[in-house]
Amino acid sequence: MAGRRIALKAIDWVAFAERVPPNQRSMFNALKTRSDAIAAKLASLPESPTTIDWSHYRAAVARAGMVDEFEKKFKALQIPQPVDTQTSAITAQEAESNKSASAYIEGSTARIAQYEQQLDKFKNMIPFDQMTVDDLNDTFPETKLDKVKHPYWPHKPIAEL
Amino acid sequence: MLSRVVLVSANALKGSSPLGAGLVQASRSLHTTSQSLAPVPSLPEKGGKVRHGIFPEEIFQLLYPKTGVTGPYMLGTGLLLYMLSKEIYVINHETIAALSIGTVIVYGVKKFGPDVAAFADKLNEDKVAKAQEVKDLAMTSLSQAIEEEKKEQWRAEGRSLLFDAKKNNVAMLLETNYRERLHMVTHEVKRRLDYQVALQDLNRRMEQEHMVNWVEKSVVGSITPQQEKESIAKCISDLKALAKSTQAMA
Repeated sequence: MAGRRIALKAIDWVAFAERVPPNQRSMFNALKTRSDAIAAKLASLPESPTTIDWSHYRAAVARAGMVDEFEKKFKALQIPQPVDTQTSAITAQEAESNKSASAYIEGSTARIAQYEQQLDKFKNMIPFDQMTVDDLNDTFPETKLDKVKHPYWPHKPIAEL
Repeated sequence: MLSRVVLVSANALKGSSPLGAGLVQASRSLHTTSQSLAPVPSLPEKGGKVRHGIFPEEIFQLLYPKTGVTGPYMLGTGLLLYMLSKEIYVINHETIAALSIGTVIVYGVKKFGPDVAAFADKLNEDKVAKAQEVKDLAMTSLSQAIEEEKKEQWRAEGRSLLFDAKKNNVAMLLETNYRERLHMVTHEVKRRLDYQVALQDLNRRMEQEHMVNWVEKSVVGSITPQQEKESIAKCISDLKALAKSTQAMA
């Protein structure tokens, strides 16, 4: 009836800590302390319990058959493994987080593409001292003067001069 | 300046005259005129070169092969004298006024021209610098935003570590629980056996003590008063003998 060997994945806490964003750092610290406490508790318990010296008890206890009965029952006893209720929940959580993470990464790549596009526009722009006003209006549409809305010079409200 | 414009437009007309009306129509319908395809040439930095403020350099270059360096000056002097002598240009009061005003204007431009030009250039430069600043800021912020997005993606990749940690925790808790149960069972069984042993020991000890007490009591009870007196007398005589022997030795 010795303890069983369980498959514990070695976690690199340093790499994990690097990836944590600053606004989730407190949660990460709580997780780490909890994990460390659990690991310490596990390490403090020996794997198999102390064996009982049956021969000594057989000699010491006067009552006939009591020790033998105990020994028989003890050897026949099977301690059930504790039931694992959480792993499925964790796997479900993991699947969900994978989904949301891939959605986020998609959005992020779209944003990166947008930024890259704008960056290219800026990089390939003609220098300002070789631009005409038409070129400026093409590159920055917000500088175009609305001659329909404000037909008279300066074609924009006086407050914006 | 106007003469230069005339020359330039003459050249342009000379170049485009082969295009008749019919050809213009045809090229317009095909949208392949050179006007729309050629890239716009960059604006010239400075105006055309002039000598003495008004006479364009092109005239001097035009006349140089035939009349050398002094040609245009001779032409100018001749023209001026012709106009004065033939009274094509009449000298009157307006001439004096024109000369005075001209002198003042020329003096003013020569003195204050560069400063005004610098001021106007500075205004333009400020505009350009501001635009450049906006552009630089936009570029740095965009590249920074790209960096941050990439970093966030890298962070999101580490999510498996979290779930590994959670699963590990669960497994460790289960194992701890199992071991605790094992230990508890062993401990309880041992306790019961030890209790039996301790119970036996206690029984034996109590029997022993009881027996000893009983024996003592019976012995003490069996001493009769006669025996007591005799034993006391004997003790006293023994003590006297001892005292005598110690006195003799000391």
